[in-house]
Amino acid sequence: MEKTHPRRFLWELGSWGFLAPHLALFLTFIIAPLFVNTVMSFYNWSLLGRRVFIGFTNFVRIWTDDRFWQCVVNTSLFALYSVPLVIIVGILFALLLNQKIYGKMWILVGLVSQTFFGSIGILTTWKWIFASYPSGLANYVCVKLGLLAKPISWFETPFSAWAVCTLVTVWWIVGFSVLLYLGAIQRIPPEQYEAAKLDGAGPFRRFFSITLPWMRDVLFFDIVRQVLLAFALFDQMYIFTQGGPGGSTRTLVYYLFITGFQRQEMGRAAAISWYIFVLVLVFGLTQLFMTAKSLKSTEG
Amino acid sequence: MGQTTASSRIVARRRAFKQARRITLSVVIWAFVAVWYFPVMWMFSTSLKPTTEAVIENPPRLIPAHPTLENYKSIFAAKSNVNIPRALLNSTIVGLVTVAATLLTSVPAGYALSRLQFKGRKTVFGIYVGILAFPATMFLVPNYYIIHGMKLMDTLTALVLPVLATTFGVFLVRQYMVGLPRDLEDAAWIDGCSRTRFLVKIVVPMVLPSIFVLGLMTFLTSWNNFLWPLLVLNNPNNMTLPVALSRFNVGWADPFRGIGPLMAGAFITMAPTLLIFILFHRYLMEGISIGSLGKG
Repeated sequence: MEKTHPRRFLWELGSWGFLAPHLALFLTFIIAPLFVNTVMSFYNWSLLGRRVFIGFTNFVRIWTDDRFWQCVVNTSLFALYSVPLVIIVGILFALLLNQKIYGKMWILVGLVSQTFFGSIGILTTWKWIFASYPSGLANYVCVKLGLLAKPISWFETPFSAWAVCTLVTVWWIVGFSVLLYLGAIQRIPPEQYEAAKLDGAGPFRRFFSITLPWMRDVLFFDIVRQVLLAFALFDQMYIFTQGGPGGSTRTLVYYLFITGFQRQEMGRAAAISWYIFVLVLVFGLTQLFMTAKSLKSTEG
Repeated sequence: MGQTTASSRIVARRRAFKQARRITLSVVIWAFVAVWYFPVMWMFSTSLKPTTEAVIENPPRLIPAHPTLENYKSIFAAKSNVNIPRALLNSTIVGLVTVAATLLTSVPAGYALSRLQFKGRKTVFGIYVGILAFPATMFLVPNYYIIHGMKLMDTLTALVLPVLATTFGVFLVRQYMVGLPRDLEDAAWIDGCSRTRFLVKIVVPMVLPSIFVLGLMTFLTSWNNFLWPLLVLNNPNNMTLPVALSRFNVGWADPFRGIGPLMAGAFITMAPTLLIFILFHRYLMEGISIGSLGKG
């Protein structure tokens, strides 16, 4: 084993110095929490009160809790229909923005800017639009158009509550995907389209044989990102329904929120977060490997 | 001669056709965008209506019948248990401090991980990447406990610290720095330039756009953050705008926290982010593309 030169050692120590501030925060608020979370999940743990080791009791209690499984179903279903919707609408918008049109900047603002707005302002506005009053905007328009016989309480039946939540979520977050897709589309070499045009390929043919294949990596990345996002669904339900009616719109994070922070059963909540981890593990690992791959490709 | 005019006529006609197509397409898209953006206009419109009128008016009107700034005055003067002027100040402070601290920690870390060679670098980098397998939800409960243990509950510091630990900025900055030419250092070392000087004087100016993007995205994330501040904040004087606004959820007709003041508050919360988007959307788009997939 070769001996490190003292000067070399000092130089390397200096290099660590650049990393140290961020690394210290990373260890405190990312690495340590993972260990704390593991320990907590085996305890009956409240913030101020007692701490009792109870083995796997938390995990068993959650497993046998019907409300937990209802949250699993709710959240999975939401991911199942919201993710494809966001992706389809996102592709459509990206294609629109790639056309030769006037006022492109303002169209970009109109379709994309929402994704950078905070949840509360957006969600309270939508809640107001879907107010149960006859003069609520959604009720008024639907009755006028003959879609509804009389005004309804949108958040009081599971179906309409989920429908509104999905609509609002697509409206709110699609902009991020649009920007991702637009970036991918703009990286396609124009010659590809010119060659296809010479071969007489129509717009649909060109979309499926050029645009879509070039977007493949970005799309795959975005699907994974959005599934993880869907499993973090909270703000919408906190503002719209508080999980009601009868827990039909309660999501996994909402379940964790109620357990850990309203009932202060933090050990149980830690165990819930491990269940969430396992549920999205495939997607989390995919995200990890995709990022690792793309980071490596730039390493040279 | 005759042939030239004929062909130029064809060209002109084709151009006119293209122009007509472009105008038609634009009009259709514009109409759609107007509908799609309607909620934002509705937010602004409601914020200018007296609350009682907004609640009972039928049919609902986009242009307020009796426009007023009463709602904006009321939220800035409110002596209720929600303090909007204070929340605005808190959100601004937390946002700016988070940006400054993120840049001061993430930029050197990104530099170390991209351009410095030292033992353990690969390990640290591997752990930074490996953490991407864990959903953010995993960190809520333990960080709550850690912040409580640090006696930082109900403080603005509690909002800043955990955000600084995220790796997004490190990866983003690193992606740009990796792309710089390798012989950059060689010249600098010969001149006897220290690493700090090299980072500040040479590297940072070359990756300034990425630092700007990181600053913007950090500010937006901090400004919009809801669940974490909701958990750790309690005192009305410590609340950020989103948390303060969520306390308005009492009843649409309430004169102080009803729909009029609520939409005024929502508009004030949204306005800075809209402005940032209009001014800097090119940077945000680039940040999203590169930060997400490591591709330029």
